[in-house]
Amino acid sequence: MTASVEFKNVRKSYGGHAVLRGVSFSVQRGEIVGLLGPNGCGKTTTLRLIAGFLAPDTGSVRVCGEDQGSDSIAARQHIGYLPERPPLYDALRVKDYLDFVAAAKGVPRATRKSAVAAAMHDYGLSHMATKVIATLSKGYRQRVGLAQATLADPEVLLLDEATNGLDALQIVEARALIRAGAAGRAVLFCSHLMQEVAALCDRVIVLHEGLPVELADPSPTPRFELRLGGIAIDVAKALLERLPDISQVEAHSEDAQVVLRCSGATAQAADAMARAMLPHAALLSLEALRPTLEDRFIAAMRREDRA
Amino acid sequence: MNGFLALFAKEMREYFATPIAFVLLAVFWALAGWFFSFSLFFVNLAQMVGSFHNMSLLLLLVMPLLTMRIFAEENRNGTMELLMSLPLSELQIVLAKFAAAFVMLLIMLAGSASAVVPLVLFAQPDLGPILGGYIGITLLGAAFMGVGILVSSLTANQIVAALITWGVLTLFWFADYAASIDAVPMLRGLFLHLSFSVHYVDVIRGVINLGTVCYFASVLVMSLTLTVLVLKGRRA
Repeated sequence: MTASVEFKNVRKSYGGHAVLRGVSFSVQRGEIVGLLGPNGCGKTTTLRLIAGFLAPDTGSVRVCGEDQGSDSIAARQHIGYLPERPPLYDALRVKDYLDFVAAAKGVPRATRKSAVAAAMHDYGLSHMATKVIATLSKGYRQRVGLAQATLADPEVLLLDEATNGLDALQIVEARALIRAGAAGRAVLFCSHLMQEVAALCDRVIVLHEGLPVELADPSPTPRFELRLGGIAIDVAKALLERLPDISQVEAHSEDAQVVLRCSGATAQAADAMARAMLPHAALLSLEALRPTLEDRFIAAMRREDRA
Repeated sequence: MNGFLALFAKEMREYFATPIAFVLLAVFWALAGWFFSFSLFFVNLAQMVGSFHNMSLLLLLVMPLLTMRIFAEENRNGTMELLMSLPLSELQIVLAKFAAAFVMLLIMLAGSASAVVPLVLFAQPDLGPILGGYIGITLLGAAFMGVGILVSSLTANQIVAALITWGVLTLFWFADYAASIDAVPMLRGLFLHLSFSVHYVDVIRGVINLGTVCYFASVLVMSLTLTVLVLKGRRA
């Protein structure tokens, strides 16, 4: 099956500064892939290369089998793109702007009106159709940006910091809109906000200084969290530290509970901890902590910086 | 073709969605009317040679204002990223934007043509030179526009675009001045040939020869071709 996006050994420099240094990946239809990395790592450049706004120095970018280098217009026909700053014409009305994008994307005149109406309906813009874009709030501007990106039913959706600058409620709404818009498409979602990527994406590509890197586990040993009642924090910590194979013990109190976090070298560590605590305290919970995306990302960045 | 028409329609909508087009048209028509009235009522000449000359100077001021936003605004607002990721070729983008600006020029000139009506009603003007004058000023305006579009594609600042366009147009308008400098007799022909005003004076006298048309057309084609190359270069 042809990948919706195929990025092969792409290099891109600006004025001698290498932004991408041989990046390869592919994205299939139905996937929401997060593009993560610190500022300046090449996330936006990657999206711009796929969108056809930039051309690679070397390597190839294919969209739905079409080469961005040799047949860029054919490749661009499969793309919906929302750059970091929604590309809106402030003087136009919402429906006129969407009509322009639909026409430019080749939606035939006969179906254009209904396509625009459907996009406005999907993104909650129907009541804003005749509003001049300059008068819209940031949240609505983002909606218009999303609506234009999904017009003409593109197979590939490129979203650059699509929830940037929105308030908490707008972020939740935008996530829902993005998820709805992602159905049946290959989506590349670029953000520096870990929780956004974790909430939306099926898979993550991490870039560091222009190269893809693997996410890392922050700790080589599993981490555990115990919640105890009826015991002093110092006593609980001392009991845990006494156990073999237990290390990196951290303790704090929370809502009259003692919370202990530690690393256990073996799979049996959890049993040992429970046995050690039960005679002295009420064991409220004991769970293995899975590293969050943020933990794994930070660990990967530290590993790369050390290297 | 659809992409061209879509962008052309968007450009036309944008012109009339803001007061800029209306103000430019009003100013151009008011001043063109004033110059025509001056020639007619104070100098008592039932012809438009003077008006065409004055209109050319008006275009020198108005064209940079009309063209400054064409690409500079897209560059500043980030909408260039949208345009360049839509399935439109660079040539389509440049031609659609030029076509919309050219329609604005035609509206400007058509409005000024109302001056011909009283001439025909109350005098017996020679219509040949008037028609030639309108062809000439259209060619001149299109050439000015080409330069303006090129300059606008190079910056994200509309004021900078307008000032540079105005500077370039003025320089080429008065290029024939350099022909009178004795120190460079070898370049005399070149300066005369480069001058907008030398070619334009021929036209408003009623002389439209192939060389003049080629001159204005080549300025336009060269400017638009360079603009296409600027857009292509931006992808690299």
